Amino acid sequence: MRKLFITIILCIAAMIGANAQTRLVGRIISPEQQAIEDVVVTLANQGYTTTTNAEGKFSFTYLEASDEEVIIEATGYISDILLVQLQEDQLNDLGDIVMQNDFVREVQEEVLLNLTEMDLNDDEGKSQSMSSASSASQDVFNSTVSFAWSNARYRGRGYDQTYELGYIEGLSFNSAERGQFNFSAMGGLNDATRYKEVVEGIEANNFTFGSIGQATNYLQSATNYAQGWKVGLAGTNRNYKGAARATYSSGLMENGWAFAAQLAWRYTPYIDVKGQIGEGISYSSVGYFFTAEKQWSRDMRLSLITFGAPTRRGQSAALTQETFDLTNQYNKTSWGHNNYNPYWGYQDGKVRNSRIVHSYDPTAIASFDWKINEENHLKVAAGYHYSFYSNSALTFYNAPDPRPDYYRNLPSALLDGQIDKDGYFIAKDLNGKPLGELTPGGYIKYPLHYNGSAVGHSIDFDTYSKLTDLWTSRDDHATQIDWDALYAANYANNVVNPDGSARYIVERRHNDIQEAVANANYRNTSVEHLTATVGLELKASQGIHYKTVDDLMGGNQWIDVDPFAERDIKELATNIGLTQADIANVKQNDMQNPNAAARKGDKFGYNYRINMMTAKLWAQNEWSWNEVDLYYALQLTYSSMQRTTDMLNGRAWYLARLGEANNNHYYYLADAANDVLAAGEDFSNLPSRLVGYGHHFVDPAFKTGITYKIDGRNQLKINAIAETKAPLARDAYISPRVHDRAVENIYRHDYARYYAQEFGTSWLEEYYGASQKMVGGDLTYSFNYPLVRGRVTGFFTQIWNGTELNGYYDDEARTFVNQSLSGINRRHMGVEAAAAVKLGLYFTLTGALSIGDYRYTSNALAITSAENGMALAENAQGPIYELRDSVLLKGLHVATGPQLNSSLKLSFFHPKMWFADLTVSYFDWSYLDYAPARRMQGLFTGVRADGSVTNGWYGDNYTNAIEKDQDGNVIYDQYGVPELKYPYNILSDQEMLTASNPLHRFLVDASVGKLIYLKNRQSISINLTVNNLLNNTHFKTGGYQQARLPRQTRQGVADNENSVISPNVWKFPSKYYYAWGTNFYLNLQYKF
Amino acid sequence: MKKILYIALMAVFAACTPNAVDSTKLFLTEDQAQDLIGQGTLLTLQQFKDSFMTEQGNYLSDTTQYRTRTYLIEGRDTSYLFSIDTIPASETPIYIRGRVTTDDQGGNFYKTICIQQVFIDGNDTTQEALRISVDAGSVNGLYPMGQEIMIRVDGLAIGRYANQPQLCLPSYNNNIYANNAEQKIGWAAGRIPMAIFKARTQCIGLPDTDKLFYEQMEIQDFTKLLNQFPKAKAQLQEARRWDAKLIKVKDVHYTGEYFESNGNVSKCTTGNPEDDTNANVFAPTTTNIGYPQGRIIADASGNKTAVSASEYAKFAFFYLPGADKNGVANCSDYEGEVVGILGYYNDNGRYKPAADDWSISIRSLDDLRLYDDEGQLWPRIEYTK
Repeated sequence: MRKLFITIILCIAAMIGANAQTRLVGRIISPEQQAIEDVVVTLANQGYTTTTNAEGKFSFTYLEASDEEVIIEATGYISDILLVQLQEDQLNDLGDIVMQNDFVREVQEEVLLNLTEMDLNDDEGKSQSMSSASSASQDVFNSTVSFAWSNARYRGRGYDQTYELGYIEGLSFNSAERGQFNFSAMGGLNDATRYKEVVEGIEANNFTFGSIGQATNYLQSATNYAQGWKVGLAGTNRNYKGAARATYSSGLMENGWAFAAQLAWRYTPYIDVKGQIGEGISYSSVGYFFTAEKQWSRDMRLSLITFGAPTRRGQSAALTQETFDLTNQYNKTSWGHNNYNPYWGYQDGKVRNSRIVHSYDPTAIASFDWKINEENHLKVAAGYHYSFYSNSALTFYNAPDPRPDYYRNLPSALLDGQIDKDGYFIAKDLNGKPLGELTPGGYIKYPLHYNGSAVGHSIDFDTYSKLTDLWTSRDDHATQIDWDALYAANYANNVVNPDGSARYIVERRHNDIQEAVANANYRNTSVEHLTATVGLELKASQGIHYKTVDDLMGGNQWIDVDPFAERDIKELATNIGLTQADIANVKQNDMQNPNAAARKGDKFGYNYRINMMTAKLWAQNEWSWNEVDLYYALQLTYSSMQRTTDMLNGRAWYLARLGEANNNHYYYLADAANDVLAAGEDFSNLPSRLVGYGHHFVDPAFKTGITYKIDGRNQLKINAIAETKAPLARDAYISPRVHDRAVENIYRHDYARYYAQEFGTSWLEEYYGASQKMVGGDLTYSFNYPLVRGRVTGFFTQIWNGTELNGYYDDEARTFVNQSLSGINRRHMGVEAAAAVKLGLYFTLTGALSIGDYRYTSNALAITSAENGMALAENAQGPIYELRDSVLLKGLHVATGPQLNSSLKLSFFHPKMWFADLTVSYFDWSYLDYAPARRMQGLFTGVRADGSVTNGWYGDNYTNAIEKDQDGNVIYDQYGVPELKYPYNILSDQEMLTASNPLHRFLVDASVGKLIYLKNRQSISINLTVNNLLNNTHFKTGGYQQARLPRQTRQGVADNENSVISPNVWKFPSKYYYAWGTNFYLNLQYKF
Repeated sequence: MKKILYIALMAVFAACTPNAVDSTKLFLTEDQAQDLIGQGTLLTLQQFKDSFMTEQGNYLSDTTQYRTRTYLIEGRDTSYLFSIDTIPASETPIYIRGRVTTDDQGGNFYKTICIQQVFIDGNDTTQEALRISVDAGSVNGLYPMGQEIMIRVDGLAIGRYANQPQLCLPSYNNNIYANNAEQKIGWAAGRIPMAIFKARTQCIGLPDTDKLFYEQMEIQDFTKLLNQFPKAKAQLQEARRWDAKLIKVKDVHYTGEYFESNGNVSKCTTGNPEDDTNANVFAPTTTNIGYPQGRIIADASGNKTAVSASEYAKFAFFYLPGADKNGVANCSDYEGEVVGILGYYNDNGRYKPAADDWSISIRSLDDLRLYDDEGQLWPRIEYTK
């Protein structure tokens, strides 16, 4: 933020009136001479604040005549601070004040959006790790950290993005199914996101009730945009290489209409340079944004808006430490690189990426804004949004896994202990220390023993070296997808098995959502000191999920059966004695269309929808007095979800049948199908769309806050919130691709009265057993002096009963399992602080710090079941199909970015419109996300929470991994979890992502820019932003622990059939995302 | 509206879908293969074995580092059941070529492919064959049955695992949890990593299962080998020539029996194959130990050998031809031809070579062409509770 100190000696036109008073007025205009509305004008000494009207005017009355500091702040403009001497009993007129466009922030926002989009690396788009693309806030802390800490994937107060709310013209655009706002919907359209109002966390909010996180309302009315043309070009070495955009705005015309439109294009062809940022990806995006506004008067306006950005982009993957180590010296720079991407390979000599995202979010919005009179203001809006989102991936049938980084294809798979050519383990311990040492010379002939267990190699070192050489030299066969070989496999298969399934195809997984939203917001100021707001938000959503054949890759067809189910048929058969005909059904993805031959574009696998309704009614009172502001607000939310499917899955049918046999009544099928099943009829007469069970929730929320203005420059603010939140649909179903079974606590919620009776609990307890509960609060001291301003905030939030859903391949059960977690409690507490100090005329030094402690405060309950329905264990009562166990989470850190973030930023601004800044940031206390499968109670004790016995555990005689004292007593940590011996603790301990070398924890960014004004209100701006100036390629921004636990079959005489946890604890290592190395963004813009 | 938008979207993206690769670029023609061969040396499979596979193996000078029980005791000649000979990398490529005879879709072959020598004249009455050990599940997905492949072998190794010759790389077994682990830990022929194998292997033409050559044999032809030679070493060496051949035996039927570990013959039971290792299915459980199991076939003269199956085969729990939940009394009703891969497996030097060391591994149940008197193919019945 720029502070412009201008002392103005006002030429006062004396006003003589009957009741003389000290007044201050002015008008805020853009460089294009257009009035700017909603500019916040604050008198720092006297503590008054107002906003400009549609004509850009503001006024203060009944002021004290004194020296005053006038702070002028608006989204998209550089803040001004004016020092004025107020003349007593006179009208002090500041005249027209021109605000300069904050083009530096414009560029930063574009860079941020770019980063956000690349974070969408999973099919559900769940991992979008950016916080709200940028902050419009003038708050020193938020305006500093939103850009400086984004490369480290900082998340405000450790909240995930479902707590950050995104609105457009007052309409909620957080997905009802996945919970987050999708920034890529407006990819490249920087003008669509330029104007916004931002509410930081728990504060009074005039467009929504809000939540614990940030709420942003994007304002897209046409009159926001300055009249004229704006064209820009950008070049970068990030995920796209070039961008071009053009914006035209008509300004408000005499007929009351205003129009604005933007077109944006971003592109890069496939990047065919190994080791370069974005290797193996391509990018193509065309965005459009059109907004029209009709003003009948200044108080009544209608806006019509539409935008969309069809985008096609290749993805890159998370890397294991091994693949990073093997590849980071190829085409090396001085520090190596982290750009290896296993998702691509050569097809007929040309680069092809297997993971291509198609996204397009066509959106239409109509909003009506009516200031009925000075005291009453009504805003209503409605919108429709269809989000096409799909991602491609290779899939295969009766053929080798084509992924080059599949663990069996890596050199480490040859050496159980992962030994490098110098005789050291590749895997390092948590402190970066090699795990063991071998005989000098590095030629390994004998097994290595560690803690009494053999962890040696399984193949000779020459072979290991051969494969390692292929990797370090980035051999196409070893490190990339061999597309030609996959085509050859299909062509050969066409000859030997012409009616069979292709060996390899590219499938496309569609996760679309359509949403119709409406909003009404009424504000009344008729009572002195009070602003009362009432809001109603309505949303009808439908998540649409299916797979299609994207490319048969020369194959004849893909036969739509489940390969896992087919493989596990033997287990299925012996579980409940299915007939041959039953078995043929179970493997079907659609029993009504068995063994369907899918060809290009055909749907297969699954085809289901989740219908969701949300209604929110909220009310807020804001009281404002001279020394104190007070607000309180209440919200009631109704939500519902219901799954429908166009495919009758064979495993759903099997599970429903199993339920019949075991007298459980979970809803695996739609009612119609249940009836058919009960009657033993054939299902060919079922409707093509089966409607599942509906789930309904009502959740209340309350928040309040008080601000004490110590004086005009110092204030204290305290806020508090309490709310319950229904589970998101994405976490509600155990395996929505297969069946309608909701997670356990939703099932109990649905039958709350029954379960209350059954377990002697209260109805309320059962009803809200499915919802997440939150209480939170923060306390802020802020100060604002001419040379220094800033704030310090302490915050505390406790969240109970979070839910989560995971799926992974279980090596013990040898099948794919789903795992639902409930009862996840978390505590987020910490301190945020920032201060900006003016250093002379041109420089400002800004410091920002966030120290947090975000932890799990309880263990969670996990219910694990096989997707194909096979029993996972057995006890005296018979087979167990759903394992209940405790997940030992207590004390683990929440993995939402670094918990210690700090930076120092030196900014330069010259009135001749030169800008530059240099930011040095330090990050620490960043943790890897845990895999619940590695923290199960049964693994530590041998017995699960449900009393069933595990097959192999850490305390097993063979593993003997639990620490004991001299007397043989188990040693527990402070949270009551048995401690594991090294190296087994690698499996269970939460890994720190922070680099062991302190130098690798720093990121340095810089930018420089110049704005040149030309004749006739034309201007040219140029800006260069360089991130990660020192090319720190060791900075891990995130990742995940693999859920798969290494196992080894135990064949001892007395222990047949059992497996133990393998001493090769590195078999399924964690995967990491890295910050890009040095990258730049050069932007050139011409306004005319 | 949604459809229009979607079509528009697809129109934008469709242009980005790459063209399929022309199949002629992916498979070598015979001329191209000959060009490659012209730049190196082509060995027949037997020439390859004879040239590089030695009795003791050149990989280890200290042969005690091979897994134990590797050589014969009881006063016979030393013969190594496990060996490794590395083939030095050469500037002049050394090739072998052959047609894939195995198929792992049925689950009875795992990380193994067998190839047979392709003789240009096509009038063979016998064949040369070789096992190849590759570290990839479903490897036939890339090299299906009937596919002719050419492999550059210099830089790889040839070794024996339980006396079965195979193209391989050295491997160290470190499974301390195995039964009798102390006798199994050590060096042996191991699997070739997929990336290395792929880089050395090319397909010649498209697969053609009609060109597979099934060498017709009588059971006695191979079981008698064990009695022809006075010395065990000679027997084992001869067996190495026969291993991995694709054969057919005619006029045979299942007897409903299996070989006990001492070579004696016993009747299969009607037990639950989940816990009864002698049940009358192709491969009941081995309680996860994973050894292949044999079920006996016999010819009219009463010569017997085993048909081998893995408990991980998809057909493992199918009743033997003619068998059902009541027993094996009707097995002899179904007679005909059995085809499969001939194997000689002997991993324990403490015992002398025996007839039950031989087996035929079927690729799928289609390899059992057994009919009753009325010409009806044997019925496939899977065990259910």
